[in-house]
Amino acid sequence: MSAKSVTSIAVVLAIVILGSASVFTIDETQTVIITQLGKYIRTVKDPGLHMKIPFIQTVHYFDKRVLEYDSTPAEILTKDKKNLVVDNYARWKIVDPLKIYQTVRNERGAQARLDDIIYADLREEMAKHNLSEIIDVRREGIMKTVLEKSDEKARQYGLKIIDVRIKRADLPREVEESVFARMKAERQRIAKKYRSEGEEEAAKIRAETDKQRAIILAEAYRQAETTKGRAEAEAIRLYADAFRKDPLFYDFVRTLESYKKIIDKETTFVLRSDSELFQYVDRLSK
Amino acid sequence: MSNNYEEQWPQKSPSVEDIEKKVKEFFKRTRQGRKGFYLFLIIIIALWLASGIYIVSPAEEGVVRRFGKMVRVTSPGLRYRLPWPVEQVDTPKVTEIKRLEIGFRTVDPGPPARYQFVEKESLMLTGDENIVDAQIIVQYKIKDAPHYLFNVKDQLGMLRDASEAALRQVIGANTIDDALTVGRLQIQQEIKTVLQRIIDSYQSGLSITAVKLQTVRPPKEVEGAFKDVVSAKEDRERVIYEARGYQEDIIPKAKGKAAQMTKGAEAYEAERIGRAKGDASRFLAVLKEYEKAQDVTKKRLYLETMEEILPNIKKFIIDSKAGGNLLQFLPLEMRELAPKKEQGVIKEVK
Repeated sequence: MSAKSVTSIAVVLAIVILGSASVFTIDETQTVIITQLGKYIRTVKDPGLHMKIPFIQTVHYFDKRVLEYDSTPAEILTKDKKNLVVDNYARWKIVDPLKIYQTVRNERGAQARLDDIIYADLREEMAKHNLSEIIDVRREGIMKTVLEKSDEKARQYGLKIIDVRIKRADLPREVEESVFARMKAERQRIAKKYRSEGEEEAAKIRAETDKQRAIILAEAYRQAETTKGRAEAEAIRLYADAFRKDPLFYDFVRTLESYKKIIDKETTFVLRSDSELFQYVDRLSK
Repeated sequence: MSNNYEEQWPQKSPSVEDIEKKVKEFFKRTRQGRKGFYLFLIIIIALWLASGIYIVSPAEEGVVRRFGKMVRVTSPGLRYRLPWPVEQVDTPKVTEIKRLEIGFRTVDPGPPARYQFVEKESLMLTGDENIVDAQIIVQYKIKDAPHYLFNVKDQLGMLRDASEAALRQVIGANTIDDALTVGRLQIQQEIKTVLQRIIDSYQSGLSITAVKLQTVRPPKEVEGAFKDVVSAKEDRERVIYEARGYQEDIIPKAKGKAAQMTKGAEAYEAERIGRAKGDASRFLAVLKEYEKAQDVTKKRLYLETMEEILPNIKKFIIDSKAGGNLLQFLPLEMRELAPKKEQGVIKEVK
């Protein structure tokens, strides 16, 4: 029993060890290359259970997902000699595990290469463009160029660069201060403009008001004077029509009227005794 | 089946062998011996098989891999898979909407909520080379579970990078005034579109449900100047309103005055004509009677007038024999007028 069970355990163990050494699994996220004593045999991309020759064949796993590349922010000079702190990122994939194995061994090696490739291309491309182009809508075009160039270079390492993007593109701290100063000045200009516009509009309204008032008053004056003139004329006509009937009588009556008004108690009157009024006095005294 | 079972041994071989030995020794000591060992084996296998039962909750989707290869996607419910290491299952929450904060982090959802601002993320350049402080919330969910699980390494990091890139790209394409005011909705929409395009290019299996611009404001260094613009705008309105007030005060007053003038003139007209008519008809009436007895009437009118005038005034009647020369009476005249001269008033006699 004892010897038999030892043998059976040994057999089971041998099967287990041999079996495990001759199969391997590939996950959905992985791709592998198989080497035999250091020599490349084949690349396996299909996920699932696979066989290999035990002990002499080695499996090298590579991630086939979209991988991250994030560079440290770097100051880059634009065409118009402005400094820009660029923090870019890229997304890449391992497409040829053999090449990557031959050239940079593994994913970490690839990361280092990406640093060289993307940074250089980015710097080169940025230097061809003005700051405004990098910031605004043309950014996508620039990044596409960087992507194409970098991707071409990355191919020799078995990598495919899917995307290169500027995560952040900011001005260096000291330049930022001057931008703030400019923004402030700009806002002050706008504020001043608004206030002046207000003054302008207000002055216009006031002037218009004054004008309107002058017009209204002048028009009223015109109307009033016209009315008065008309009244005057009518009065003259009425008087003339009436008085012309007997101008002498009018003269007489009106003169008498005038006397009543002109002569008051301050008046000193010197009358001759032979005046019409006192003719009888005179005559009597004779 | 036992083959699969054994496959797990090598990975844990040393310790597992020890355990097996101990287990066997245990069974050796029992009287059941071999029989007990097989029973034990059956129980172990049964338990192992039972471990393949799993639950997919309503919010989830089950993705089953067999030896690393995806074989099926299962819907919510009680499900079975072959136990580890043959099959594995992932159950990502596909209906859950998750959120990602750019430019700030919620420290305490509150209420009241407390936030921590991350200026490094939120300060960015606009198309007109101004700096703006913008924060967004990205809401996303899984639209394709296998893609989500297998296509991108570090999904969250990827989404964060892509969101920042999209945010800056869109803000960079706009002017600061657009970003601060009218363009907000459009910017949100654009960020969403750009972001979805980026993550689709990675086949990330994520779907952006919404991008919300949380705050867009000028950086605090220049906030005062921006606020002053707002108050300048209000100042503009205020002085205009003041001027309008002046207008509304002055014009009615002028109109009132104008009415006063025209009405006054009309009154004058009525009065003047009325008086003229009155005077005329009085004259005509008098004339009519006068014409009937001209001489007497004339005399009467004259005398009546004299009677009216003369009683109240100083009169000197000079004898006609004394001649028409008034000079001889001057001293008398002067005497009479002397006290009044002091007051500088000399009434002229007509």
